[in-house]
Parts: sequence; structure tokens; C-alpha cells
Amino acid sequence: MTDFHPLVKRLLDGEVTLADLPPALRAEGEEALRLLAAVDRERVVVSPALDERVMTAVRSRAAAPSAWRWLNRPREIRVRLRPWMLAPALAAAAALVLLVARPTPPLPLAPRMVTVRFVLVAPEAHQVAVAGTFNQWDAGATPLLRAGAPGVWTATLTLPAGNHQYAFVVDGARWVPDPAAPTVNDGFGRRNSVLTL
Amino acid sequence: MTIRVSILLVVVATVAAPLRAQQDVAARLAGRVPQEVIALVRQLSADAAARGLPVEPLIQKAIEGGAKAVPADRIAAAVRGVVVQLDGAAAALADAGLTPPDTETIAAGAFALNAGLDGRDVASLARVAGRANRATIALRVAGTLSALGVPAAETVTLVSEMMRAGRGPAELTALPARLQAEVARGATPAQAATGLARAAAAPGRSPQPPRRGPPPRPPN
Repeated sequence: MTDFHPLVKRLLDGEVTLADLPPALRAEGEEALRLLAAVDRERVVVSPALDERVMTAVRSRAAAPSAWRWLNRPREIRVRLRPWMLAPALAAAAALVLLVARPTPPLPLAPRMVTVRFVLVAPEAHQVAVAGTFNQWDAGATPLLRAGAPGVWTATLTLPAGNHQYAFVVDGARWVPDPAAPTVNDGFGRRNSVLTL
Repeated sequence: MTIRVSILLVVVATVAAPLRAQQDVAARLAGRVPQEVIALVRQLSADAAARGLPVEPLIQKAIEGGAKAVPADRIAAAVRGVVVQLDGAAAALADAGLTPPDTETIAAGAFALNAGLDGRDVASLARVAGRANRATIALRVAGTLSALGVPAAETVTLVSEMMRAGRGPAELTALPARLQAEVARGATPAQAATGLARAAAAPGRSPQPPRRGPPPRPPN
């Protein structure tokens, strides 16, 4: 960008004429005037409706305040702080960070699993199964197997920690509570065994 | 436009979730129980969920009834009974200040009620527990002790003393087996519970029950 002599700038501003310039600056003044004349000075015609459209938009915004606009409107906040106040402010910020970032006990992602052995002595049985809340009370899902001693049936299951209710199913039809476990009313006139893991 | 779409999505999600839950209930019960039981459990589950109650115990009770070949009307009565226990447990937990109690704690409370405790016992244990997950374990253990024949007062005292002594979940969960061991040695359930509670309350001691009979003789 050309930097004109201050007198030439005054010429462009109309404060002096070309004749007022010293002879050494007249060529520069003429050049400046030529450049100024080259600028497009065509008159800009603005649509007569522009004012109305702009004012309509301004009025509609002013008439319809919204919470979001109020929250979103930028505001200037000035904070005047004395240097000695920085120490307690930093200490408070550090305490807040420590409080928020304090380690919390991890949430259990999966239930703790416990291995349980079910045993029923049923010398007369041909087949024994265990059914309960852990296998949707499916009498065929978890059969017990004959153990070493005669008439002893066993099954070993790994179950999630918690409360389970169950019963043995002897020969596919007879529901028998576990004699070694506590029992509760099953709501059907029988007893369910309870397992708390 | 964006706000309208968001509202529509919220409405759809609000309506769709219970519908999906009801379909899940029906799918789990299909082929296991008569159709009228499915319809009843769907309705009861929707109502229970709206009150913040767990629905799994209702489904389990219906499945259990079907597996045991129980007639439909008795399954319906049993499922309604479970709802009553869940409502009772939720009310007792709310009395204890656990609001809103989570569904696992409510289910544990309902189990304790079914095992022989009453609403005041449940509330008392929940108050001592203070937190939902601690209350859940306490109520499960208390229900199991009650199912073993321990009277309600001794059950509440034992479990409360264990919690006040800062015993963890593993020690609480081990209580029924400890009690059964004492009963196998000849104590009544009430005596065994009282001994365990006294031991738990003693400062700096593990909750071992008092010895019975003469002390062991030193080896020669």
C-alpha cells in the first residue's frame, strides 16, 4: 500500500489544493488524485424495504425473549483480584478437585459367583434334578448325579451371589425341599429351600 | 423443529418402554403358564413397575407355579401375594428413610417378610444398614435366619449387632451357616442367635458364639 506524504494526504482530504503543494510533491499529489478518481464511486441504491425488514427482525427478537437466548447471551464479567487472594483461591480449587476426584468404591460390574454343591439322599429315586430361581424352575435343566455312596445324589453349580429359592425334583414329578437348608412358604402350599450366597 | 422432534422422541420412548417390558413378560411366560396367568402377570408387572417395584419376583413366581403344575387360579393368587409383600417391603423401607429404595432391596425385604419378619423388622434393619446395598444383604440374611427358625426379635438383634460392629457382607452372609452349626451342636435357633449377637457386640472380638460345656483340657 502506498504511503503518501502528509501534505498529499491533506490534499486527498480536500484541505489543500494541488497548487498549495511544493513543486517536489506535485507529481505525487497528481498520482494520488488519479488513484482517488479511479475508485468506484457509483452510488449504492439500497432497497426501500431493507429498513423495514431489519426493523421487523429487531422488533421480533426484542418481543420474544427466550430462556435459551438469555442463557446464551454473552456477558462481560470483570474480576478484580488482589494477589494475596490467589493462595486461598487455589487452595479451595485444589480441595474441590480432591473432593470430586476422591476414589469411590468400584461399582460391581458382575455379581460375585459362588460354587455350591447340592446333595440329596434319595435311595429310592431313579432320577433327581434341582430347579429354582437360578434355572427358571426348569425340572430338566440341572440333573443331580449319583455320588459314591448309595442313594446319594449331587450336583455342583456356580451361582451369582444373592438369594435363591429351589427344590429338588425326584423322578420328574415330586418336588422335595432340601432337608439341609432353611425353607420358606412357596405360595402353593409347599416349601422352597433358600440359599443365601 | 428440533424441539418438536425431541418431544416426540421422549413421548415415543415413554410409551414404548412399558410396552416392550410387557412384551418381555409375555415372551418369558409363553408356554409355561396358562394364557390368563400371562395376562394377569403382564398387568400386575406394569402396575408394579409404575410404583417402582421389581417385576422379576412376579415372573419367577408364575414360572415356578407353571413348573409345579399348579392350577391357574392358585398361580394368580401366589403372584398377587408377592405383589402384597413387595408393597409391604417398599413401605417399610420408605419408613426407614430409604427413598426411593432400589428394586433389589425391595425384593430382599419381600423375601424377609415371606420368611416371617414383619414391616417393623424390615424398617429397623434398613435403618441400621443406612445404605441400600447394605440393607439388601442384611434383609436377605435376616430372612434366611428367620427361615431357619430364629425368632424375629433375635434375628433383628443379631443382624443389627453385626452391622453396628462393622462386619462386612461376607461375615453377614456366613451367619446362617454359623447358626446351623450351633443348632447342630444342640442349641436352639434363638440361643444360637443370641450367642452370636453377644459375640458380635463384644468389642475387638470376632463374632464367635460362646462355648458350651467344659473348656477343652490342655494337652498333656
